[in-house]
Amino acid sequence: MRRLWAKFLNLILPSRAEREMEREMRAHLALITDKFIRQGMSNEDAELAARRAYGGIDQASELHRQERSFPWVEQSWKDLRFAVRGLAGNPGFTALAAITLALGIGVNATLFATYNAVALKPLPVADPSRVVRLQRQLESGSHGDINYGFAYPEYQYLRDHASAFAGMVAASFPVPALAAIPGSIARQRARGELVSTNYFADLGISPVLGRTFLQRNAAEEAGQDRVVVLGYGFWKRALFGEPGALGRVIQLNGVALTIIGVAPESFTGANVYPQEPDFWAPLSLTAEISPGQDLAWHDRGARWFQIVGRLRPSVSLNSARAETELLLRQFLTGYTEWDPTKSVTVKRTAYFGDADDPRFQAFVAAMMLVFGLVLLVACANVANMLLSRGAARQREIGIRLALGGSRMRVIRLLLTESLLLSLLGGAMGLTIAMSISKVLYLGVLSVFSPFLPGVNFSDLNTSLDLRVFLYALALSAASGLLFGVAPALRFSGLGLTAALKDENSAFRFSRSRLRSCLVGAQSAVSMLLLITAGLLTRGLLRSQVADPGFDTRNLYLVFGSRDRGLVDKLKALPSIQSVALGSAPLTGTWTTEVRVGNATSATIASLASENYFHTLGISLRRGRDFTRQEAERGGSVAIVSESAARRFFPGEEPLGKRFTIFIPGRNRLEKAKAEDFEVIGVTKDVRYSNLTRVDPAHIFFPIASLSATGENIVIRIQGDRQRALAAVQTEVERFNSAVLPNLDVVSLDEGPLRAHKALAKVAGIAAAILAFLALALAGVGVYGVIGYLVNLRVKEIGIRVALGAKSRAVLASVVGQGLFPVFTGMVVGLTVATALSTLLHQTLVFPGSIDFLYGVPFYDPTAFLGAVAFVAVIAFLASAAPARRALQVDPVIALRYE
Amino acid sequence: MPSDRIQVLQGTLDLIVLRTLHSMGPQHAYAIATRLEQVSEDLLRLNQGTLYPALVRLEQQGWIKGAWKRTESNREAKYYTITPAGKKALEEETERWRRMSGLVNKLLGEEA
Repeated sequence: MRRLWAKFLNLILPSRAEREMEREMRAHLALITDKFIRQGMSNEDAELAARRAYGGIDQASELHRQERSFPWVEQSWKDLRFAVRGLAGNPGFTALAAITLALGIGVNATLFATYNAVALKPLPVADPSRVVRLQRQLESGSHGDINYGFAYPEYQYLRDHASAFAGMVAASFPVPALAAIPGSIARQRARGELVSTNYFADLGISPVLGRTFLQRNAAEEAGQDRVVVLGYGFWKRALFGEPGALGRVIQLNGVALTIIGVAPESFTGANVYPQEPDFWAPLSLTAEISPGQDLAWHDRGARWFQIVGRLRPSVSLNSARAETELLLRQFLTGYTEWDPTKSVTVKRTAYFGDADDPRFQAFVAAMMLVFGLVLLVACANVANMLLSRGAARQREIGIRLALGGSRMRVIRLLLTESLLLSLLGGAMGLTIAMSISKVLYLGVLSVFSPFLPGVNFSDLNTSLDLRVFLYALALSAASGLLFGVAPALRFSGLGLTAALKDENSAFRFSRSRLRSCLVGAQSAVSMLLLITAGLLTRGLLRSQVADPGFDTRNLYLVFGSRDRGLVDKLKALPSIQSVALGSAPLTGTWTTEVRVGNATSATIASLASENYFHTLGISLRRGRDFTRQEAERGGSVAIVSESAARRFFPGEEPLGKRFTIFIPGRNRLEKAKAEDFEVIGVTKDVRYSNLTRVDPAHIFFPIASLSATGENIVIRIQGDRQRALAAVQTEVERFNSAVLPNLDVVSLDEGPLRAHKALAKVAGIAAAILAFLALALAGVGVYGVIGYLVNLRVKEIGIRVALGAKSRAVLASVVGQGLFPVFTGMVVGLTVATALSTLLHQTLVFPGSIDFLYGVPFYDPTAFLGAVAFVAVIAFLASAAPARRALQVDPVIALRYE
Repeated sequence: MPSDRIQVLQGTLDLIVLRTLHSMGPQHAYAIATRLEQVSEDLLRLNQGTLYPALVRLEQQGWIKGAWKRTESNREAKYYTITPAGKKALEEETERWRRMSGLVNKLLGEEA
């Protein structure tokens, strides 16, 4: 310890120790000299003898320095200064290398910054490191919002008994409401949460205006306070940000509530799926604000609330988890659950609360891999640049080695340089990330947000924090090592004589092999990315004109009710051409196993009522439609698509054939049962489950025949669109006003169809950008390599030209040597792409899976040949300039070169 | 070069320097080096400069302490004194060295 301190002092104040050392050595020498003089030597002889006796003064000083401090720090500092001088002295090289790295690190940092904002940053509450979200795992292994749902009595029990928590709040999943605001005629749609009264106090949120709820646990159950806290956005939007809004009364779904406060702008709510609430009301008002539920809000089966807790100081996540799980188990003893709770997790909060979903993680990992490839190409490029620069430094390094510099020291010097370079690139990349991540994110969202009603993503906090900086730093350091190690080993490893002799062609050719490998790798990666981009772009082009096979104009999905009575009322409206109940097309599907005879296979399955096919415009090719009775009572009949008929009953008449499916039980206690169905009709093949491809097999069941209740109302309107939609709204309100807040009428064209096309667009464009980035980098690499080869062979070319070689032969030889690795790389890239493509193709065996290529074959010749041509053209262009230089070699100058 | 010269074992130099300062009182580097040569009867001859790392090490560990004084011949020199901590360390190290050399001797004796 004491020694470390002394060493550290000497490190920061080297001059004192240095003076002291010199003084001591001088004194020492003087004493020896005195001795020799006493022995009778002359002054000069004595001094010389003293030096001999003492040994090398410089060596002794160096030993002294090493012993008294940390030599490596001083050396690193020297290396750093040297590296800075070296890079500053060659600004063109430095800028090009740094920009190359900045692009590579920039795209990766952007990706991470977005991931960080979505999944890592805690919620904007007070002391967020102690705030956690409760999650339950179910025995069925289901994943979704049911993992976050807790019943009010469960919350009560946990809140009152858990000792690990300083506070615990409950908040409902967002509920829709129609808000009537005094002074404005039209009611506004709003979504808010019903929360326990300690919600704001325990999360540590102070209002920007007014106050929050008074904490009264007793009152929560009694339901006395008719008050509401508004979200900042809603206050600005619906009440124009007036401070006078406080104390006014608004009606939410007909319930009059007094506005007592406004939440701060930064607080985006604590919902597991990000959604900034428009209002927060006491949960005692659940029954009034959100009526029409089967269960009362304080029922143990009504898992409508999410729980967020604040840990006591010094309580670990794990002990909180253990306690919560134990308490919940105690509470549930003797109670039969639908889907028993297996365990409980306690986890830190984030903007996107469900970020540990394996699907989300897999998506992020895949993105990071692809973005990482671009960085890899950038690194290969810089390694290449370093190698050609190293050619010029060969002599300098040789001298260092000759003067006794150890190989390790030379490697460290070179690595310091590359690390400095990569940090420079990293800093620039971070600047890029900072400016584009928000823009990029908003751009992507503006494409998607029309399809995610009520979700306001612009509140995502993408500002960079320590995590992003550390990530960029780690990425820079890693790439610095990656591109720096090979050249450093290469240069330091040469023999002394080889290094000092200017021309050592064996060595230089061995280095050109390394460079060729790098260029080959770059070509392979660009090839891979380019083919991916090509395929996705082809898919993108097709997606924009993809025809679902039925008329989606004037077709609307009505969410919020599946009431038969409402269907009948709507049917009577003149502006509605046709109406039916059934699954929502183009919004994903359900797949099931089908058994015909002894063969089992998979199919997409959907629900339909009578008149459903007519409403959707899917024509029946054979047989008949469901009857109303079959739809309502659940007959054992089914209608299959043409492809399903071909698949299950090849070469046979499908009508009248029977098949078996397994219907899952309504809950965990009910077993799945096998049920027989008879085929009564055959429909035209369409793109129903998603726009990307025609359903490989599709079976429709009467809506009541399966335990699932996945049906919605589907309507086809006629005449003026505005009037028709207004008529639907009026009719719904007249039928049951409680449905109105939940009502959502979505156009199939504007909604799901556009979402599919937008997804294809985003994927295609992103892949294209990455591919072109990789290609540009590879182009620079090829240019560098061929230029280098030309320089290397100037003499030889000169001799050839002097001997009368044809310029074409010279050109072919130089360019051929340079492009050989490019072609090798292309072949490798092509092989990997084909393998990947084949692998992806396998997923299409599953009938419900999405075909991102919209039916473009996975070995699409256009994409593959296009990519080959593209890389080849870039390689030729990149080699043109250096090749011309080869032709212009003047034999006289070339031969005088040495 | 006589072949019976001894290479100083890593680490033993510290012990020797401590011992010298303990038995002779405050000394400067030159005196220490001279003393080492005398005691070892020229078996141990080192470049006097190589003494410095050991002195730096010992001083940083707080086992010896240096101070500038005048020699009898009125030259200035840095005199090193062993500290109480140094004495304790010397005892421990001596004990350790004895056990170590005893063990080695025993093993070598068995071999013979």
